[in-house]
Amino acid sequence: MSEPKDFFAATAAAAAAAASSTSLRSSEQRDMDRESNSNEADDWSVSDYAGEGVQRSNSGAQDTLDITQYPKYGWVDVTSEFHEACQELLPGELAQDMLFGLFEAMSAIEIMDPKMDVGMGFDKTDLPPPSFEAAVAMGAIKLAGLEPAELIGVFDALFACLVSWLEGNSMDQVLFTCLYLHAPAQIQDKALRAFCTAVRNLIVVIKNIIILAAVNEEEDFQLYGNSALLAAEKAQPATIAPQLKEVEDELVRKCKQLNASEDQILMAVVHRLRFMRHLFQAIYQVELMSSAESAEEAVNEIYKNLNVAAELLPLIRRTIERGTQPVEGSEAPNPMGFSPRIHDRSQPPTFPRSIKIRERPASYQFLEEMVARFKYACKVIRYKDYYTALNFLIEYSRKSGHCILSRSVLQTLFSSSIRLAHGKQSMKQFLRYSVQCFNSPPVLNPKHPVNNDPKVQQHLETFFRYCISMNTFNQFIRLCGFNRARQRDKLAHLIENFDPLQVDAARLDSLMNQLANERAMEGNEVHATALKHSTHFSTWVLYNCFRAMYIYLMSGFELELYAVHEFLYIYWYPYEFLVGFIVSALTRTENILLAQEEYAEHQSRTQLNGSGGGSNNKNRKAAKPKKHKKQQRPYRQEIVYYHAVLSLCGGMYKAMGALTKDGRVRLPMSKFDNEEIRYIRRFAPFVPLTSPPPVSYAEFKNIRDHLMLSSVEDLYTYAAKHFDQARNVLESIQNPEQEILDLLQIARTNFVVMNVLARGHQKELKRQPEFDFSKHSYFPIIKLK
Amino acid sequence: MNEAKDNEQTKPPISYTFFSEESELKAIQQLIDGELSEPYSIYTYRYFVYNWPELCIFARDGERYVGVVVCKMETYGCVLQGYIAMLAVHASYRLQKIGTTLVERAIDAMIEHKADEIALETELTNKAALRLYESLGFIREKRLLRYYMNGVDALRLKLLLPWRHSSDQSTED
Repeated sequence: MSEPKDFFAATAAAAAAAASSTSLRSSEQRDMDRESNSNEADDWSVSDYAGEGVQRSNSGAQDTLDITQYPKYGWVDVTSEFHEACQELLPGELAQDMLFGLFEAMSAIEIMDPKMDVGMGFDKTDLPPPSFEAAVAMGAIKLAGLEPAELIGVFDALFACLVSWLEGNSMDQVLFTCLYLHAPAQIQDKALRAFCTAVRNLIVVIKNIIILAAVNEEEDFQLYGNSALLAAEKAQPATIAPQLKEVEDELVRKCKQLNASEDQILMAVVHRLRFMRHLFQAIYQVELMSSAESAEEAVNEIYKNLNVAAELLPLIRRTIERGTQPVEGSEAPNPMGFSPRIHDRSQPPTFPRSIKIRERPASYQFLEEMVARFKYACKVIRYKDYYTALNFLIEYSRKSGHCILSRSVLQTLFSSSIRLAHGKQSMKQFLRYSVQCFNSPPVLNPKHPVNNDPKVQQHLETFFRYCISMNTFNQFIRLCGFNRARQRDKLAHLIENFDPLQVDAARLDSLMNQLANERAMEGNEVHATALKHSTHFSTWVLYNCFRAMYIYLMSGFELELYAVHEFLYIYWYPYEFLVGFIVSALTRTENILLAQEEYAEHQSRTQLNGSGGGSNNKNRKAAKPKKHKKQQRPYRQEIVYYHAVLSLCGGMYKAMGALTKDGRVRLPMSKFDNEEIRYIRRFAPFVPLTSPPPVSYAEFKNIRDHLMLSSVEDLYTYAAKHFDQARNVLESIQNPEQEILDLLQIARTNFVVMNVLARGHQKELKRQPEFDFSKHSYFPIIKLK
Repeated sequence: MNEAKDNEQTKPPISYTFFSEESELKAIQQLIDGELSEPYSIYTYRYFVYNWPELCIFARDGERYVGVVVCKMETYGCVLQGYIAMLAVHASYRLQKIGTTLVERAIDAMIEHKADEIALETELTNKAALRLYESLGFIREKRLLRYYMNGVDALRLKLLLPWRHSSDQSTED
């Protein structure tokens, strides 16, 4: 169903719905009916269709014409024909057009039904909602001489509307209920005009950022609103800051002539204008990132603005009370300047959504958190390689995943275009550098002589070009920008795309090994050694693939997609395979680095005054300019973390085994249930991969059956041991972050619970425990009720 | 679109019948509307029951309609998908497995029509419905953010039927 653009169209749509809601047959419907019947009978001819088509398109044209010329409509009474036509139908029978499907059925409203019909919310005596012109004419809104309290009230209400828009409401139903936004040029009060112009421009800038970042989904954000209103005055974002600044300065000068109490309230106005200016500047500069000369400078500038904005917020929050407050029971967020129902009739004819605009303190809190998120997003500039950048984006999504603008800002800051990272760096360059940072293949070291080998260069070029054309690495980064639910769907596809990359990376590694043999035959030992035993590229690709797999699997817990009886096989897979793969990929990488470093040291010792050939060491220094000792084990922390995860998965797997055997897990007992099908479905995205090879249900079942041979008590004890192991590993981490502390608490508690159950606690009471994921989204605390 | 409350107890003499005539539409409306925050237009009801009357099943205590399940079945790509649109049991008849029986019968009917899978959406917070469907072997396939107009998230549930379980053939949505 098309969305009518204006009031008249909406009315007409409702009228049309009403006409047919009696479920009787109009002549037009009969035509449709006949058309679809003849279609079914397969004697549908072009001429038939054309005949009716002309007739219908005539009436269609009339419809559109008549809607805009409502008073001139030549009404024709068809009541008797209508009733006559209805005689042909049985009670309840519906003439249904072929194109009338579920969507149309569900979008239709029954007029006069208070739950569906927006108009029913009006009292008969209600006046139509005032427009800007009407409100001005009635004297309901002031255009000049606003008191400071009135300004504060309007500003605070507008910020609340902005926040409500960012939370997914239609801009028509929140922001554009403010009549001042309809025609800011007509406002005489300079402060109000500057502020309202800024809001309008901010809307345009925010929309652009979200559109360009393209990580929004329909459930996140409503991009479209009444564009006619926005178009009325052209956006000129570059002029906003100076305008605001001018008004601020003027008000500050005025303050100086006032006594203390008047001065205070005027300063509250100034603070809001200033906050708007810095927030606007920060966001506008994000939009301009793509054309920035230096990404660093641009981000610095953004950060400065955010800092000032953040400092102003506490001052603003303290003076919320100084503004006019919304009238209790009214839908308007402020007594003056708002017309809450002004766009109700131009909304799509689905059921009315009730719009709740955030309260002012909560809105400022949102803005405070948003500014903090933006500041945090600015840090992305520090992460120059894929590994650290991806870590940052994953972390950011976990913390800020709910705010569409924050997610879009980070994407824009990181890569303003699909082929670029960090401003002007090409994605290919970025990936090359990233592999170099990750496991330092000598072939990527520009100072290593092997780097000049034309064959090596050719192979590398082919590989990285393939990475770019597959776009998989870039997609992983972008995927982190989507909301958490959509990320899971997209991960499933991403994982599949890793397979051809793995194949290509393995081929590159083996080409390097072949070359090593050739160079050795030629007696070129330096080159041969550098090329020998290459696993750099396949390890790098595999590691990223494993991470995608791990996040995919575990996100099911976060999204509450797994039933308790499924926990067993979900935790089993990372315990038995996946986490081990991640650990071994990282360990292998560290070993490679270590070996290279030793070799380089050996080289430099033997040829102390040599020509500088084979100085791997320098490369490591260039990649990770940190302390020498640390360099050797750059992944130590992560390896330790995954060791803990491994134990936690093991603990959960065996705990689920024990609880199931103990009869404490509700199992589906239906003839329709089939565990094998469920298992296959859950691991389906992993099937296309060559490495790791898919694990069949039969294999899982064998292993589980073997586990289940143990007694219930033993099973609880095994689980307890894993949790204890996890605790040990986690306690060994120095300066632990909050996540580590949370995991530690989970490990400790579950250790105790497993021991209690092993001792036969509540043996008679076969109740399913509660799995509390509030501490960590991947691992629950098991609670006995 | 689903509401259900159920539990184990002995079954009362409930009979199960298919949708057969217009007058029964009122019964459906009464059963469903009482349960939902958002109303369905009359078109929605008609769309289902007149297109798939064989997939609209009532639970009746004598003459009284005490529960209903409304479904449809359509092909997406190469998958024939059954879809459970509405399920409701009258408050005073809950905890008698009527909901489960209705769904079972609907699934049987859809299997008879060679459905490959059966899908539905339910509110994340509707624990009773989740429990009912999970006990039948449904899995929670997807989280749908802000799916309902009141802003509540939904879950898409799916029952994959044995003759078509190779995963790649199933529908995305």
